[in-house]
Amino acid sequence: MRTGISETLLRWLCGDRTSSAAVPICVALLSTLVSSAALLALGHDPVTAMAAFLRGSGLMPKPSYAGGQSMLTDFMSYLGILAPMMLASLSVIFCLKAGMFNIGVSGQMLAAGFLATALVGYAKLPSGAARPLVVLIGAAVGGLMGAAVGYLKYLFNIHEVVSCIMINHITSYVTGFFIDTRYVDVITRSSRACSASSRLTIAGVRMGGVRAAIPLGILIAITAVFVVRFLMERTTAGFGIKIVGLNRDAARYAGVPVGRSYVFAMSIGGALAGLAGVTYYLGYYNSIVPKALPSLGYDAIAVALLGNLSPPAAVFSSMLVTIFQKGGVYMSSVTGAPREIASVVIALLLLFSACGAYIRERARSALGKRGGG
Amino acid sequence: MASSEYIVEFRGVTKKFPGITANDDISIGIRRGEIFALLGENGAGKSTLMSMLYGMYEPDAGDIFIRGERVALSSPSAATALGIGMVHQHFRLVPSYTIAENIVLGMEPVKKAAELFPYVDIGAASKRIRDLSKTYGLEVDPALRIEQVGVSTQQRVEILKMLYRDAEILIFDEPTSVLTPREIEFLMDVMRGLRESGRTIVLITHKLEEIKSIADRVAVLRRGKLAAILPASASAQEMADLTVGRPVSLSPSSSSLRARFRDVVLQVENLSVRGENGLDAVKGVSFSIRGGEIFAIAGVSGNGQIELADAIAGLVPPCGGRILLNGRNVTSDGVGRRTEAGVSYIPEDRQRYGLVLDFTVAENLAIKKYRRAPYSKSGILNRSAFRTEAEAMIARYDIRASGGAGTIARFMSGGNQQKTIIARELSTDSSLMIFVQPTRGLDVGAIENIHRRMLGERDKGRAILLVSLELDEVMGLADTIGVLYGGRLLKIFPADRTTVGEVGEYMMGAAS
Amino acid sequence: MDVMDVMDAIPADGLSFAMPLLIMAIGGIYCERGGVLMLALEGLQGFGAFTGALSVVLCLPLLGAGSPCLVYIAMAGAMIGGMSFSLLHALLCVRFKAQQVISGMVINTLAMALTTFLTSVVNEALTSQVSNRFQIGASERFTLPILSRIPIFGGFFRNMYPFELVILAVAFVSWHVLYKTRFGLRLRACGENPHSLDAAGGNVGRTRVIAIMICGALAGLGGIFVAYSVSANFSPSIYMGYGYMAIAAMIFGNWKISPTFAVCMFFGLTKSAGYQICLWLGMTSNYTDLLLVIPYVVTLVLLVFFSKRNQPPRALGDPFDKGKR
Repeated sequence: MRTGISETLLRWLCGDRTSSAAVPICVALLSTLVSSAALLALGHDPVTAMAAFLRGSGLMPKPSYAGGQSMLTDFMSYLGILAPMMLASLSVIFCLKAGMFNIGVSGQMLAAGFLATALVGYAKLPSGAARPLVVLIGAAVGGLMGAAVGYLKYLFNIHEVVSCIMINHITSYVTGFFIDTRYVDVITRSSRACSASSRLTIAGVRMGGVRAAIPLGILIAITAVFVVRFLMERTTAGFGIKIVGLNRDAARYAGVPVGRSYVFAMSIGGALAGLAGVTYYLGYYNSIVPKALPSLGYDAIAVALLGNLSPPAAVFSSMLVTIFQKGGVYMSSVTGAPREIASVVIALLLLFSACGAYIRERARSALGKRGGG
Repeated sequence: MASSEYIVEFRGVTKKFPGITANDDISIGIRRGEIFALLGENGAGKSTLMSMLYGMYEPDAGDIFIRGERVALSSPSAATALGIGMVHQHFRLVPSYTIAENIVLGMEPVKKAAELFPYVDIGAASKRIRDLSKTYGLEVDPALRIEQVGVSTQQRVEILKMLYRDAEILIFDEPTSVLTPREIEFLMDVMRGLRESGRTIVLITHKLEEIKSIADRVAVLRRGKLAAILPASASAQEMADLTVGRPVSLSPSSSSLRARFRDVVLQVENLSVRGENGLDAVKGVSFSIRGGEIFAIAGVSGNGQIELADAIAGLVPPCGGRILLNGRNVTSDGVGRRTEAGVSYIPEDRQRYGLVLDFTVAENLAIKKYRRAPYSKSGILNRSAFRTEAEAMIARYDIRASGGAGTIARFMSGGNQQKTIIARELSTDSSLMIFVQPTRGLDVGAIENIHRRMLGERDKGRAILLVSLELDEVMGLADTIGVLYGGRLLKIFPADRTTVGEVGEYMMGAAS
Repeated sequence: MDVMDVMDAIPADGLSFAMPLLIMAIGGIYCERGGVLMLALEGLQGFGAFTGALSVVLCLPLLGAGSPCLVYIAMAGAMIGGMSFSLLHALLCVRFKAQQVISGMVINTLAMALTTFLTSVVNEALTSQVSNRFQIGASERFTLPILSRIPIFGGFFRNMYPFELVILAVAFVSWHVLYKTRFGLRLRACGENPHSLDAAGGNVGRTRVIAIMICGALAGLGGIFVAYSVSANFSPSIYMGYGYMAIAAMIFGNWKISPTFAVCMFFGLTKSAGYQICLWLGMTSNYTDLLLVIPYVVTLVLLVFFSKRNQPPRALGDPFDKGKR
């Protein structure tokens, strides 16, 4: 009987159909186990801690809530930060499909968020005009920045990692300068809050007796998942990008415009990052800290890789990672464990997912030995 | 107990790879000081067997004895320590290193500067390399970088690498496939010299004439099994029959129809192309190909053939001259527009250029035409057309893929990968087809199939440019032969008015 | 402010910025010349800085604050820390044949998470205070006696941190190791054509693991030098993109040591020059920030002219598989 069970397990891990689901589940279980062990070693109850992550993200009810708040409040807030994470990871995925490593998501987010804030956030426009304008500016600014990186590679063979890093720093200093000199709020040292009509979050909505902020960003993010998937699977441009990403020489041989594919992939990737920027700075937050690149731009790389570069899987990996990021504060306040353990859990997730291919191979060889013997 | 009659002995050696038994219970003994040939088709298991002798794989069953002792050859360094050396078919050289650096790699003589800083003593190594090359007539300049020298010199470097390590058992894997007839003669002399100095040579080959001219004995492998061990004096017909497993005809295949030439399809005028190293790889080449004509470019590897084919296909822009296709100037068009204009291209490196290995067969069949109907309409792909088109082509071109149109190209055999490319290229209605080394690494059956298709396309009136390093293939198929040497087209012959010897002379640049 | 002060401060500050960058980039060169992608410099330098600072904090009560041994303890701690952490990259890339980009991001994420977490845990245990930084102070500066009197260039030799000399020595030794020694020859062969080394009897896996470990040790040193000089403490703010800048310098330097040295000096000097000129002109800090953009913009412009001939190691990013040809 025992061999029967373990064999089923192995088959499940390395089967053609099942392994794409089985390996990530295995990875998630492994990292939960290891981080639970770490929590235990520090003298905290892992079950309480794991539940607290979920409670902090509004996926499980807390024992008590402040006045006018409920699980819904937390959940809406969770969705608010989930949206930029999804968009940013989609950006990384789309660029990687063309073989471009977009490490410039942070800069693209910051530039898009800043320009949308400066151009629309302080203008007195009705929400019907302001919100679409914010989205448009976000996508356009990010898209142009991405396209610039693509062109630099196309025309001058400049490695995208280098140009992205340079542009990140430039963006951070230049936006910092303008925020500090023109838009600063002297008390918070960040940029002044944007008008409610331009924000991509409808704040203070009453629902069933509680107040919640409805994040519009999540709608953009979900739409983006479908758009990206459609672009990649159903369009000639997406097919060309995949050829370029998988085998650049074959792309040249087949007459796929390699340079233009770089520019196209980076513009779409940049536009997605720009959307992540506006949903981050004008959605979840309401202001910009000067000279700080959002760490979410780097986390998104991890999330994209955790999702094995597939847009639907990236939805799940974003959700998972965001649970730990969002629920970290509450977990810390409940258990007294340091907040940073949340990032350790995320890092472990990424670590084990990097071993995914190895796990599959081991399962296959274990099964092969059994079959032979 | 091992008999000391043999310097190398395989006993019941078996090696399996996923899905294939490469070597099945093989027992062979090789005597000291002989030239022992291994004959067989591609995929018969010759290279696998020798890779085990060189420690690159370990056998799944059976034993290997060296000088009468059972040995475990777990790595090339273990084999090197036992005096075994190997010249691989694909040379194992670092292009940016000098010849001396390549030879000493793994066996570096180390000295200390100021009693403190160890360094590799390239000077001493170069001296020893010069001595060795004088002794065995293998002339090289140790200071040149590999990327600066031709293939035959690279092969000399590989041989010197073995001699530098004092190897006594020398394995040559298909050493003549990249050489001209005269270079082959030269190599044979070197091998005879090595035999006289007491060394044992194992020669992997699929060419009967090489065995007849140099080997002492020959083992024939067929589909992983040992078919026979014969003295080299056995008849060529017997060896050929054993190789294939049925009686075969040794005369090359030829077309049933006589070629009927039509209008000029491709006209190349004074074409010059710059190579990767920045020098002109093709220098002022002019020729034309008519419909219904196979124009073969003969020449030794690295004389500008690839650059010429790439330039005609539109992969690299020429730095001078014109290319006319059906009378239209296409010199400044890219690959895409030339494909539209009617150029098909079967590249030399199938896996690098011809295929996206992680794509399915259906996707690979579409990578040149996906922007047009039926694959797509106004930018939107039609996935079901991918499948139906692929299924039709799989049937028509006899592509064997376990999962049909959805098989990932990486998991197909080399022959079926090549068939996939050929299916894609032939299924367009091109007026010009460029074949570069179309049969390299394929077995006899697949080669026959491809030659038949090429002749069939010619008879349909298409113009065919064939680039091949195999002189037999050139002589057997071409209507017209052009010899490329040092980037220049030295001579153009009608195929029926020349001989192998004459073409070979031009391949060496002799008549220039 | 005096012009002479400015002329002095530019090279001194420039060096203190450029040298840690250089040692990390050299670490990256070792790794990528061996054919293994190295995106983990940021994480390795942070982890090295952490273990270095931790060893100082742990030894401080034993040796007293003024002890000259502390610098060496910090360096040893950082090298060991960076090296051990890099073993994870080696395990993932060489043994598990994982995607090397992923592995790099794993190291970065894990290093940042672990060090921040462990710092607060250790601080709580040692001082029962909640803090995410180790105070370690800055090392003393010194002036080289004769060289500092050379006109114009003398500024490079005044107010130096001791570690700057260490890094220059490392750069010289690394140049010798990479281009003159047996290890260097084999290492670069791994990055160009690993099959050549394998066929010649070398061990590709082992060579690559050693390269990764050297890279970890050097990146760790770079981290502790930043912590021990400019910032005078270890805190999560050590992750401010130095590692990524070093990667940029390495690629700009075409994976070679001397051009990379030039690139790092260029970064450092333009950065400090911009800063000092602002101070001299009495501009507000806002404008200083704007001038800090200059090195990045100039780098981009220079790349336009210098990138055409950029040639990464041929086998970079390929997990070595014996069976494949």
